Amino acid sequence: MGNNKFKILVIEDEANILSFLETLLVTNGYQVLTARTRAMGHALFLSHTPDLVILDLGLPDGDGVEFILTVRARSATPIIVLSARTTEQDKVAALDFGANDYITKPFGTAELIARVRAALRSHHQAAGAQPDGKFIAGGLMIDYASRQVLLDGQEVKLTQTEYNIVALLSEHSGRVMTYASIVQAIWGETDPGSTKKLQVNIANIRKKFGSKPGDNPYILNELGVGYRMVEEDLERK
Amino acid sequence: MKAREWMRDMALTLLILAASFSAVVLMQRAFDTAAIAPVVFVMAVFLVSRSTHGYVWGIAASLISVLAVNYAFTFPYFELSFSLPENVFSGVVMLFVAAMTSALTTNLKAQERMRAESEREKTRANLLRAVSHDLRTPLTSIYGSCSTIMENYDSLDKEQQIKLLGEVCSDAKWLNRMVENLLSVTRIDSGEVSVKKTPTVLEELIDSVLVKFRKHYPDQPVEVEIPESFITIPMDSILIEQVIINLLENAVRHAEGMTRLVLRVFTLGNRAIFEVIDDGCGIPKERLDGLFSGSINRETAAADDGRHGMGIGLSVCATIVRAHGGDIRAESKVGRGTTFRFSLETEDAEHGQ
Repeated sequence: MGNNKFKILVIEDEANILSFLETLLVTNGYQVLTARTRAMGHALFLSHTPDLVILDLGLPDGDGVEFILTVRARSATPIIVLSARTTEQDKVAALDFGANDYITKPFGTAELIARVRAALRSHHQAAGAQPDGKFIAGGLMIDYASRQVLLDGQEVKLTQTEYNIVALLSEHSGRVMTYASIVQAIWGETDPGSTKKLQVNIANIRKKFGSKPGDNPYILNELGVGYRMVEEDLERK
Repeated sequence: MKAREWMRDMALTLLILAASFSAVVLMQRAFDTAAIAPVVFVMAVFLVSRSTHGYVWGIAASLISVLAVNYAFTFPYFELSFSLPENVFSGVVMLFVAAMTSALTTNLKAQERMRAESEREKTRANLLRAVSHDLRTPLTSIYGSCSTIMENYDSLDKEQQIKLLGEVCSDAKWLNRMVENLLSVTRIDSGEVSVKKTPTVLEELIDSVLVKFRKHYPDQPVEVEIPESFITIPMDSILIEQVIINLLENAVRHAEGMTRLVLRVFTLGNRAIFEVIDDGCGIPKERLDGLFSGSINRETAAADDGRHGMGIGLSVCATIVRAHGGDIRAESKVGRGTTFRFSLETEDAEHGQ
């Protein structure tokens, strides 16, 4: 993770949640800034330029969504949204406004750390480049140069569209991508039937991957929101 | 909403008055008498007051009726005249009828509303009582475990502490599922429009269910039988997911001696049938009926194990499925097992792929 610690700004009004988040992140080797209000969070964001923001959507002094908008107006710093709301629309809205990922309260600590890692990594990867042009997660290997997908060493024959979807998800691995954002990236337009088109393609990809319901190791479902490719293996070099 | 109600009431008032007017004209032609008009218009006023909102329309109808009777159907014909005392008297009677009927109707409607309200209150109170009982047990255990650790931090060895903390974790998770159930119900209650349905891929729904279920019960295998083809079903997927998880969880907690747990989905015409089948101890007939109402006898249900308040879980299932326009049933043979079955409408003309 380099010798400089990543700086994480946590904006959350509940003292107890803030306290355990801070402990958790510090134990995992991050430097932590905390804020209880949106205004405070905004001030800290400007003065400390954190590497990542963890943001609670229900803040006392204004909706967190506004915070996302003001941050996005000036920087691409990854934002992970903490949401107590369970409706999919809220998650989709936060993602569409520029949040990078969301996690629903209550969450497991391992889950949160994984999301933090994925968000930091994909942000830094976007700035740099794929070192060897390959994506590896468990038995799945994607070779971007030859547009090949291998599963446990066996080539999986995908159509153009299917490959494009798999490649897109892998470039954002560990993060959820909304149906709309995938459709936009693959087909460039969003007509009413396009989500269905995407779902049919995903069903075919899963079939080719030999996945079964409950045993979908690579492309995870976020019901009503989108899809998430599992995180890339870290210790491969 | 208000404007539409207003339009409706006005249309109704005019319609009833017009109908009465024509009726009187026709009858006068047939019977050749003037006595019929006031009676018919009194009835019109009564009908208007009964079927519209508030007093306004009834009063308006009675005024119009007085004028109509006075103008067209009493001597002097086709001329307004308030000099004859009987005309004034009949006008007062009409107004009186209108006011009384409107008052009665408004009263009746208020009473109906109050009765429905108190019914809803009663269900809510029942649910609340059940919930607080079910919340208290895990809370007691969380509180107890935490304070045990804090007060005896040095005397407890690591293993004991981890065991206690593990119980805190699992109780907290259980509490969360409980709260999710309650949220589901409020999600239906708060919106007057039943549920917001989006086409959901069956395979993805089942996948999501199994992933979540496995998190809670890693050691319980589930046999899955679903159609091979690509099927989408319009539903609120979060809620239906909850239904299936509740049913699976219900089997794990209550079907004693269970060796197989099956989740089966198949289509029949334009319906998708979901079944959760266990081969456990079964449910006696007398408990089967009240299963989904949430009103199952809490004393007997809670006696065997305080924390397993699945009465709520099942009544939540029923609420959700009914809000989808579906139906949920349980079939059971004591000693042989139980099948929970519910159905949803599939998208017709959408058997893609």
